[in-house]
Amino acid sequence: MEKLGGLFNPSSPEMEAMADLTFYIIAISIGILAIIVVAVTYIIIRYRKNPNDNSEPYQNFGDLRLEIVWTLIPIAIVAVLFQLTCSTMRAVDPPIQDHETDIVIIGHQWWWEIYYPKSGVITANEVHMPVGKNLLLRIESIDVIHDFWVPELARKIDAVPGHPNHMWISASKPGVYLGACSEFCGTQHANMRIRVIAETEDEFNEWQKQEFVIPKTPRAGIAGEGAELFKTKACMNCHTILGTPAAARIGPNLTHLNKRQTIGAGVLTNSTENLTKWLTNPQKYKHGALMPNMKLTQSEVNQLVAYLEALN
Amino acid sequence: MANNKMLIKFFIASESIFFVMLILAYINFHGSNVEGPNAVNSLNPLRTGIFSLFLLASSLSVWLAGRSLVTKNHFMMKIWILVTIILGAVFIYGQASEWLGLIAQNITISRNVFGSTFFTLTGFHGFHVCVGLLMLSILLGLAMFGDFKGPKSDGVECVSIYWHFVDGVWIVVYSVIYLWAFL
Amino acid sequence: MSTRIPIVPENVKPLPALKENEGMLTWVASIDHKQIGIMYIIVSMIYFLIGGLEALLIRTQLAQPENAFLSPEVFNQMFTMHGTTMIFFVVMPLLIGMGVYLVPLMIGARDMAFPRLNALSFWLVVFGGILLYYSFFTQSGASEVGWFAYAPLSEKPFSLNKGPTYWALGLLATGIGSIASGLNNIVTILTLRTAGMTMRRLPLFVWMILVTSFLIIFVFPIIASAFSMMLLDRLLGATFFTPAHGGSAILWQHFFWGFGHPEVYILVLPAFGIISEVIPVFSRKPIYGYEFIAGSTVAIGLLSLGVWAHHMFAVGLGNVANVYFALASMLIAIPTGIKILNWIATMWGGKIWFATPMLFATAFIIEFVIGGLTGVAIASVPIDWVVTDSYFIVAHFHYVLFGGSIFAIFAGVYYWFPKFSGRMLSETIGKWHFWLTVVGFNMTFFIQHFLGVMGMPRRVYTYHDFPYWGSMNMISTIGAFVLAISVIIFMWNVRYSLKHGKKAPDNPWNAWTLEWATTSPPAVHNFDLVPPVRGRRPLWDLAHPDNPDEPNAKIV
Ligand code: HEA
Ligand code: HEA
Ligand code: HEC
Ligand code: CUA
Ligand SMILES: [Cu+2]
Repeated sequence: MEKLGGLFNPSSPEMEAMADLTFYIIAISIGILAIIVVAVTYIIIRYRKNPNDNSEPYQNFGDLRLEIVWTLIPIAIVAVLFQLTCSTMRAVDPPIQDHETDIVIIGHQWWWEIYYPKSGVITANEVHMPVGKNLLLRIESIDVIHDFWVPELARKIDAVPGHPNHMWISASKPGVYLGACSEFCGTQHANMRIRVIAETEDEFNEWQKQEFVIPKTPRAGIAGEGAELFKTKACMNCHTILGTPAAARIGPNLTHLNKRQTIGAGVLTNSTENLTKWLTNPQKYKHGALMPNMKLTQSEVNQLVAYLEALN
Repeated sequence: MANNKMLIKFFIASESIFFVMLILAYINFHGSNVEGPNAVNSLNPLRTGIFSLFLLASSLSVWLAGRSLVTKNHFMMKIWILVTIILGAVFIYGQASEWLGLIAQNITISRNVFGSTFFTLTGFHGFHVCVGLLMLSILLGLAMFGDFKGPKSDGVECVSIYWHFVDGVWIVVYSVIYLWAFL
Repeated sequence: MSTRIPIVPENVKPLPALKENEGMLTWVASIDHKQIGIMYIIVSMIYFLIGGLEALLIRTQLAQPENAFLSPEVFNQMFTMHGTTMIFFVVMPLLIGMGVYLVPLMIGARDMAFPRLNALSFWLVVFGGILLYYSFFTQSGASEVGWFAYAPLSEKPFSLNKGPTYWALGLLATGIGSIASGLNNIVTILTLRTAGMTMRRLPLFVWMILVTSFLIIFVFPIIASAFSMMLLDRLLGATFFTPAHGGSAILWQHFFWGFGHPEVYILVLPAFGIISEVIPVFSRKPIYGYEFIAGSTVAIGLLSLGVWAHHMFAVGLGNVANVYFALASMLIAIPTGIKILNWIATMWGGKIWFATPMLFATAFIIEFVIGGLTGVAIASVPIDWVVTDSYFIVAHFHYVLFGGSIFAIFAGVYYWFPKFSGRMLSETIGKWHFWLTVVGFNMTFFIQHFLGVMGMPRRVYTYHDFPYWGSMNMISTIGAFVLAISVIIFMWNVRYSLKHGKKAPDNPWNAWTLEWATTSPPAVHNFDLVPPVRGRRPLWDLAHPDNPDEPNAKIV
């Protein structure tokens, strides 16, 4: 059987606490619902009118004691629910104190910029993190409100422009966890996906080291021509590639694009073929995305793809 | 009928919430240190305070109009309504010239949050004063044609309740915008 | 029948109503509360079809993963317009319309206190709806920022089209209309009650309309001012809600939900009122715990003003605020629970006649409790941190809005249709309508709880083919089409019964409130004579002189 996602597969201590809370509250709710359903069913069976009986039943106007009872019982239930809520909140959202931010996540209309302040690495849409560690994220937005949600790993929190937020995240086992922007942010809100790649400490450090490498700009061949095109076709007005003059932040950092698994925040898997498709017309795959159709010829596209793939 | 007065009172309760929200918006941004114009460096509380006195006085005159209605003094009622209109108009003149002065210094609704909140709050208040002036003028017109012989008239009483309300709002607005800035 | 006393003296002054029948003109010029009430209901039904059609388009697009039936822009317009339409142009005007029709009858008055204002309210709602829908014909279509139009997405740089402007203008007009009708209702209920109709004898529906009207006049100004600021931002370049220029995105949320949360109780309290009328009549018993139902309504009204930020748990307001708003929200479960239990107690020991109104009322109890319980679950902050803005929320609010308000409205329509039209709705078609609604409704929305906790965000026009997502969404879509069939059956029932339905007697259900004391449909002046009100159930007292509700009550 394929695995159900989200709360059915909590993969961090925080999410386990939240799944427990959900379980308790749903259980209490089902209990309350069951009482009501049973009462109503009983009434339907027991007190249905007999068509031949036209007399009126006993006229009962109420009973103060009963009212008090069914005011007090819900108060007690609410007290329990509230207590559960508070204790889980404490577990899931401990105070930050002087912990330094591990990762900064910046929402852009329809992609995520990801920045590791401790190392300076910048990437997009895919968060690499070591397993078993509780990391502090800072969530920001550059334009409208987004919301960072990886259902199996952590609570969600809004990325509000002008109001940075913090949240904790951790993963108990390695793997790829999928998430999505969860606050409506415009045309392509649906395709603003997140991928968290939780890996062992060593793998993570290795990844980080590679992200640091400033790739050599190819000078010759079609990749070299692509490098030229990147400057002349306005790509550099929006994108950054380390080691070149391109340093804009309107679009994702492309330096290590070929180490990412997807393009366009999850609309396409990353492959030569798909990169070609994307550059030919990004609007076809992500209608409304803020990267315009650059109207490139087929050979220009090939050159750019070769260039982007040669960056290593 | 008591209905009309009840309606106007609930209406005013509803309107107060509207103004409370505008005032809250102003207060919300009061603390944020904006670049450029703000209440301290662009407003003249003294000048506006003097014009405010006219509005305050008009509350008195509209009350006197109501008294004249009760005593069936038709002539004085018309006079007091007229006085109220003039006092209200002076206030509006003061506000209009203040606005023009600010706009001449390029302090506009789109300049910064101070501009936005200031013009919106005073603007909506000014709009209410104008509506009040319109209603007072209608009253005056009707009175000229002989309406409102007294001792009771829902029309006069409702307009006067409304006018007191507009006045009361201004006291709060003036305190929040002009006085608070200089505390 | 025993004594009938003439209508309240202060109201005998002939109202400026049109004569009995002036043909088509009554549809535009009438200021008769019954005619206006019917017009409200007709207009909202048309909007219900439109909003439902939008829902069907949404569900069709979501029927399978990576579907390309609608473009993202169109999809976003669809859910924005669907939510806005259903809330502001279906449920609100339906309930206000029923109130406008029934309140004067139930309190034994001739008309509303301000008949002309009443007509103005109605036409403002119509005008607002036209403004809203006109936006479809502007250059880049209707608003596509969702029904709560979060800033800064709804602000100039991010929404250059005219949609949000028309949206705000339309809702502003409607809102002013609603405030006017709220004021009108309050004055009517407070001043025009017939002799003997004390506040403690007021039918519960009237109580709920009263509390709702107070909510309306206190919370619509909030949104009116927020809309004004938004319009100033969009039209004159003010900076209230644009963080890039010093404004605040969160301020909009406080304003919107400061209004938006009480608004959802505006949508449900009159529905509670309908249920409180229907259940006793079909159980043949007086309402159980009248004071507690009326009192808990007031409590809900007050509490609802202080819980708005439970829509903002993920915004990062800090946990002190979160804890407060969680507790306040959970507290609402208590007065609501009192109501539910009193309705059940009313049925208990009765002799229940399960005619269509009662079927809907019974189903209402169950569906609403499901929605209420998920509401309490998401009021628990950590759960909301997981499921906010996911399909779990969509499921929650459809259970309370459809399973609550719309079920109650159907109960009310079947119950009062004979009074409105002089004809009975067909019971056979009614039962089909009922069962298809129950099946379709639960099929559409129950499964969405699971989609939500499994990670499906709301307001997405497409989704990946994750395990089970496709089939679960497909079930939901099929459910929506079952609902569509049930709605068509209902419309057919109305059409058919208006022509061929059984003629309705004055009091077909043997009910007890004053509207059943007059003819079906009532004459323009409502009553020739109003029976004496000496208890909560005047018609019961008339029918059972030996066993009146308040044996010691004096004749006034
Ligand atoms: C008719 C409308 C209606 C009603 C009545 C309610 C009722 C409640 N709602 Fe709901 N709500 C909406 C309409 C409504 N809601 C809408 C439209 C939204 C979404 C807006 C949007 O984002 O688009 C929303 C969203 C919403 C949220 C925000 C979710 C999010 O966006 O993250 C929350 C969070 O606390 C919430 C809570 C509640 C609670 C606690 C109640 C309570 O009032 C429920 C009380 C009732 C019961 C609990 C059942 C009966 C009680 C008993 C049988 C007694 C025993 C029970 C206990 C002791 C628990 N609602
Ligand atoms: C009272 C309020 C109400 C009601 C009754 C409904 C009714 C329905 N809603 Fe609604 N819904 C909302 C209020 C309501 N909704 C709100 C507030 C939102 C949030 C919007 C937002 O996010 O901004 C929402 C969002 C919403 C979504 C989520 C969209 C998204 O997040 O992407 C979905 C998806 O399934 C949905 C489905 C439905 C369905 C299938 C119905 C069905 O019950 C509809 C049944 C009715 C019909 C099927 C009509 C049938 C008509 C015909 C068959 C004939 C048509 C013919 C002519 C016009 C001539 N709704
Ligand atoms: C106007 C700004 C702009 C220009 C010019 C532009 N891009 Fe982009 N680009 C973007 C944005 C914004 C995105 C993110 C789209 C999304 O996911 O929604 C993007 C995404 C991409 C991606 C996918 C990256 C990822 O991680 O998903 C590639 C590859 C890319 N651009 C290459 C190019 C190339 C090559 C050019 C020049 C021919 C170019 N871009 C020109 C703005 C631009
Ligand atoms: Cu970003 Cu939704
Ligand atoms: Cu709410």
